[in-house]
Amino acid sequence: MVKKNYIISLGNIDTTYQGDKIPVINNINLKIEYGEFVSIIGSNGAGKTTLLETINGLLTYCKGSGLIFNKEILKNKYEIRKKIGYVIQNFDIDSNAPFLCKDVVMSGKTGKIGSFRFYSKEDWDNIWYSMSLVGMIDFANRPIGKLSGGEFQKILISRALAQKPDLLLLDEPLSNLDFSSRKQIEKLLNRLNKKDHITILMVSHDLSFIPSGCKRIIVMHKGKIILDGNKNEIINSKFIENFFKKEMK
Amino acid sequence: MIELQISLLITSIIGAILAGYVCSTIGVFVVRMNLSSIGFCMSHAAFAGAAFGLMLSIDPLVSSLIFSFFTAVILGPITEKAKLESNVIIGFLFSIMIALAFIFINLIPGQAASGVSLRILWGSIFSVGYNDILMLIFLSSILTIFILIFYKELMAIMFNRKLAESSGINTKLFYFAVLFLTAFAVSLSIRIVGGLLVFALIINPTSTAYQFFYDFKKIIIFSPLIGIISCSIGFLISLYTDFPIGASIVIISAIFFALAIFFSPKRKKIK
Repeated sequence: MVKKNYIISLGNIDTTYQGDKIPVINNINLKIEYGEFVSIIGSNGAGKTTLLETINGLLTYCKGSGLIFNKEILKNKYEIRKKIGYVIQNFDIDSNAPFLCKDVVMSGKTGKIGSFRFYSKEDWDNIWYSMSLVGMIDFANRPIGKLSGGEFQKILISRALAQKPDLLLLDEPLSNLDFSSRKQIEKLLNRLNKKDHITILMVSHDLSFIPSGCKRIIVMHKGKIILDGNKNEIINSKFIENFFKKEMK
Repeated sequence: MIELQISLLITSIIGAILAGYVCSTIGVFVVRMNLSSIGFCMSHAAFAGAAFGLMLSIDPLVSSLIFSFFTAVILGPITEKAKLESNVIIGFLFSIMIALAFIFINLIPGQAASGVSLRILWGSIFSVGYNDILMLIFLSSILTIFILIFYKELMAIMFNRKLAESSGINTKLFYFAVLFLTAFAVSLSIRIVGGLLVFALIINPTSTAYQFFYDFKKIIIFSPLIGIISCSIGFLISLYTDFPIGASIVIISAIFFALAIFFSPKRKKIK
């Protein structure tokens, strides 16, 4: 029997926010292989973001075991984060924030480059390439606070790509984008997964936002994984039809 | 104008310039990381510490460093882990520190409300010694090296701490480094600017620079420049008018801030 190589391996994970007694995610068992493109769906408060932040160690799980790249998350969180690109759910940015887009994208590489080293020409080439992938190269010298929600979202995606990650964790990356930008990013994600073999775990609360390259869907509800399987089977299942009736309409 | 020896004058102006540099440089990080209230509390702790030193006839610099570092050690983990509403703890510690400062001043041998004790309240150009200059040069060098070496980490954290943490930067280390450098800057500047006003020198020049630039690099360059100019002009005003130097510096930096708001390109309406 061939032993499978998992990039993410979570066993009986519980994550509780500081000061709370009830876990936000409860008894999570999840294995994701290298090169998979997986979407997590669920309504607001289902625990999707908590799961992503447990995977990259931003939140500390209080029960169970978690391995990323075959390394224990809590003991190696700074090391594993250097190989994980994370696109945070859109956050408010001060319109006068003193940062240019190119600096924001560059900041994604900082952890990977490490201390006591300045940016090289190769690093900058990588930044321009990441910005061009999302069509934002002309925005390099624009202040970040002056972008629209969609443009800002693309810069955050570009920031994660600049890191040259092995694993991309995307928290509702398509939610602020217009139709054409959404198609552009969907196409990019499909390509990154298929050609560059980047494993993608993407959170969405809308089934219509799932890219074609995604083959597996995980459904979360009230902190638990309630369905996990093939995309088409899940989308066509009776359970989903009832569960997401409103969205399906 | 006060008649001063030229060497004392040079020592004082160098002290004022260095205090302007360290306070307004660390201010860039204090303002962006929303540490203003912690820094405010820390400056009053340094003030209480200086009063404590004077009461026991020990070097006020040492005692103010101990008090402000103590505040950083207490407040840092509490606000960082959000175990308790930080404003509650800051309000609590701030009032204790100010109360302690006045008790210590009252217990200073000799006349309480005059001479040396008042200098730590609003600063004095006479109080800067050779050792203070050396310490300020030391801190200025540490601060400059810290920024040059860790510029990219600092910029990532200033943009968004959570994102910086998620890309593999240990942001806690930098958070505490900024806190301790603030404590250091406040303690060293207290003799020049005074315990009640030193924090304005951290906030005002940085806030002025923030009105003009969208580029973090420019803010790191211009904030200390504005701090140095404020301190130099404040020093000259104090010299010619006998106004307390701390008050003169803070008034100048506040005028710069008011002008910056008025002329800021960021606040102009698009026609």
